[in-house]
Amino acid sequence: MTARHRLIAAAAALALSSASLAACGDDAAPTDNTGKVVNVLVQANTIYPDQQRQWWADVSAKFKTLTGGATVAYETFATPNDELTKIQTSVLSGQGPDVYSLGTTFTPTAYSTGAFLELTADDWGKVGGRDKFLPATLGLSGPDAAHEVGIPFTSRPFVMAYNKDLLAAAGIEKPADSWDGLLAQAKQLTKGGTFGLAVAYADGFDPWKFIWAMAVQAGNPLVEAGTAKLTDPTVKAAYQTYLGWLATDKVVDPAAVGWKNAQAIAAFGEGKAAFLPMVSATSKVTLDKSSVAGKYAYALMPTIPPGATALPAGGIGASSILSGDNLVVAKYSKNKDLALELVKLLTSAEMQEKYYQTFGELPTGKEYAQKLQSDPALGAIVESAGKAKGTPFSGGWSQVQLALVNVVVQSVPNLAKGTVDDAALTALIAKAQTDAQAALDKAK
Amino acid sequence: MTAVKTIWPAPSVPGAGRPARARQPRPLWLLAPGVTLMAIVIGIPFGVAVVISLLDLDQYTFREWLSAPFIGLGNYIEAAQRSALPHAVWVSVSSAVLATVVAVPLGVLGALTTQDRFPGRGLVRSLYLIPYVLPAFVVGTVWRVILQPDGVANHWLGTDGALWLNGPRSYWALIVVQVWTAWPLIYLLALAGLQSIDPELHEAAALDGAGRGAKLRYVILPMLRGPISLAAIITVLHVVNAFTLPFVMFGVPSPRDVEVLPVLTYVESFQNFRFGLSAAMAVASLVLILIPLLVYLRAVRLDTGADDEGRKG
Repeated sequence: MTARHRLIAAAAALALSSASLAACGDDAAPTDNTGKVVNVLVQANTIYPDQQRQWWADVSAKFKTLTGGATVAYETFATPNDELTKIQTSVLSGQGPDVYSLGTTFTPTAYSTGAFLELTADDWGKVGGRDKFLPATLGLSGPDAAHEVGIPFTSRPFVMAYNKDLLAAAGIEKPADSWDGLLAQAKQLTKGGTFGLAVAYADGFDPWKFIWAMAVQAGNPLVEAGTAKLTDPTVKAAYQTYLGWLATDKVVDPAAVGWKNAQAIAAFGEGKAAFLPMVSATSKVTLDKSSVAGKYAYALMPTIPPGATALPAGGIGASSILSGDNLVVAKYSKNKDLALELVKLLTSAEMQEKYYQTFGELPTGKEYAQKLQSDPALGAIVESAGKAKGTPFSGGWSQVQLALVNVVVQSVPNLAKGTVDDAALTALIAKAQTDAQAALDKAK
Repeated sequence: MTAVKTIWPAPSVPGAGRPARARQPRPLWLLAPGVTLMAIVIGIPFGVAVVISLLDLDQYTFREWLSAPFIGLGNYIEAAQRSALPHAVWVSVSSAVLATVVAVPLGVLGALTTQDRFPGRGLVRSLYLIPYVLPAFVVGTVWRVILQPDGVANHWLGTDGALWLNGPRSYWALIVVQVWTAWPLIYLLALAGLQSIDPELHEAAALDGAGRGAKLRYVILPMLRGPISLAAIITVLHVVNAFTLPFVMFGVPSPRDVEVLPVLTYVESFQNFRFGLSAAMAVASLVLILIPLLVYLRAVRLDTGADDEGRKG
């Protein structure tokens, strides 16, 4: 771009912005918002850090035009715990981010602090109406429709990657839709240093998602009306299946006891495993650079619980937890209307399209989601988004999660013996039940 | 051997400092800036921690934390009776003591090997300090990779697929890594102690016909008693307080064999959001580490302010 071109571009931008300023001045925003800043706290995007910076610069520029001078400043957090610390300090001091982006499963915990704006019909109107969102994505916005704080922003449903070449070589047409069927296929595919499944047993989050999915499919939501239901046989069956893959079925690399999610993805990427359950579309970035690029596809994880060949009565065919991000507005915000205006912009079809194209995360708005549904490459992921189910909306859910993962962590040392020790597992589940119930009892 | 005794504080003579105090009152107000700083940096946060430990403070009440329900010693009772605290105290303290017991001889040996001049001594001394200058996060990550079931540790040891990051072996893995990170500090302090030994003492010992063993036993080690005790105390405190290393190596939830006190406190605060309970655990751990610290201060008489007078005697 020459200096002359730049000048022309700048002049054009100026003309455009003043035109839209005038337009804003006429109807939506008669007030002058110059100098006002809406602060946003979002999770640091480690896969696309540069794009994230650019994205928020673009959002700010657009927001400035739209509101007559207000800009957007964003900062990032590394883990949900960092975010909670930020929420704590902001709430105590009464100043901090106006808008927070929260992981869906963390939304109940954030809700329980009472620090965020409960959306009235009027507020929903300001963000473009509750109707513009896919109903499934509203599952973790609040405990009920009258007390919602979270506005769905992005969707990251979990699916299962599979190695097309390995399946074809074994004569398997498509991944099974039941956990028992998947195990049978995994056994068939485990040979010569290749394993049927790549599973991250040492991950801090993955294990509970498996247990939750298998339990929900068997009809146990884990938490019901403030009561933990971890001692239900469905939970034990889920653990036996999940731990059995490694201990007794031996369809997982024994080294997986030390794997986090990224290591499971890496093992699949090296072609050492046929199935990679519990990954989101973001794994595409890594896999497309790996040796299985072009040789893998995504499918739904099984939706039929262990020990069954069809969904039992009361079971829910959930393919994934409801996963993604919600936006919430802080109660202490002095820019509430501007914050809602920003949420409206971020959840508009246009911005959701750009967000998907930049980061690969699915939209939560109906308009753009309908366009995406026709893309065959996304078939399984979009389908999973539709079949995802929200985890229980309780302030104690974080502790329940931790208790569920703890059972796996403490079981791992015994797996090397080649059995899932029934008595030890029962005792660990009983402890998890006690911890989970104690947390739920404190929920207000 | 008398010289040895005079270096380390002898018991103070009662009343030795009194005549000076009687003549001119000490200008205690000069301490004001220091005391103010101490109050801001240590006193107020500690006071807040104690207050929080008496409240039922969690994610539901922290928005107006001062009006959270006051439950007296409830958090302390829960920590002692219904939490993993006693187990975590045992893991932390026992691993700290074991790591120190192993690291102290290593550190002293390191100091002795680099005391005499030899070509490349500077390089060796620098290499010895590597574990000390590496951030705990890096150390934890590197050891996590080394100790994976298919990692180099099992390869070298011939223990194929053995589990080092969970189960009973993880406790020993923690101690090995703590020793690896802790010994350079002991080495540094022991080296400083060695440097401060008067060369005449070495000569005198040689003239008296002491061999290497006798010199080490009767001259060097007694002179190093002070620096080594200091190093041992600091190492115990350091290991008991270590958060980053076990957190990075073993993750959360911690395997039971390596559920150390700082990680437990962290989990209660930032995963279970039991801020009151966590504060009670933090206060309890402070009391715990105060014990060796006070023992040490008492031993070297840093707490009596009589240090200088003692030395003069």
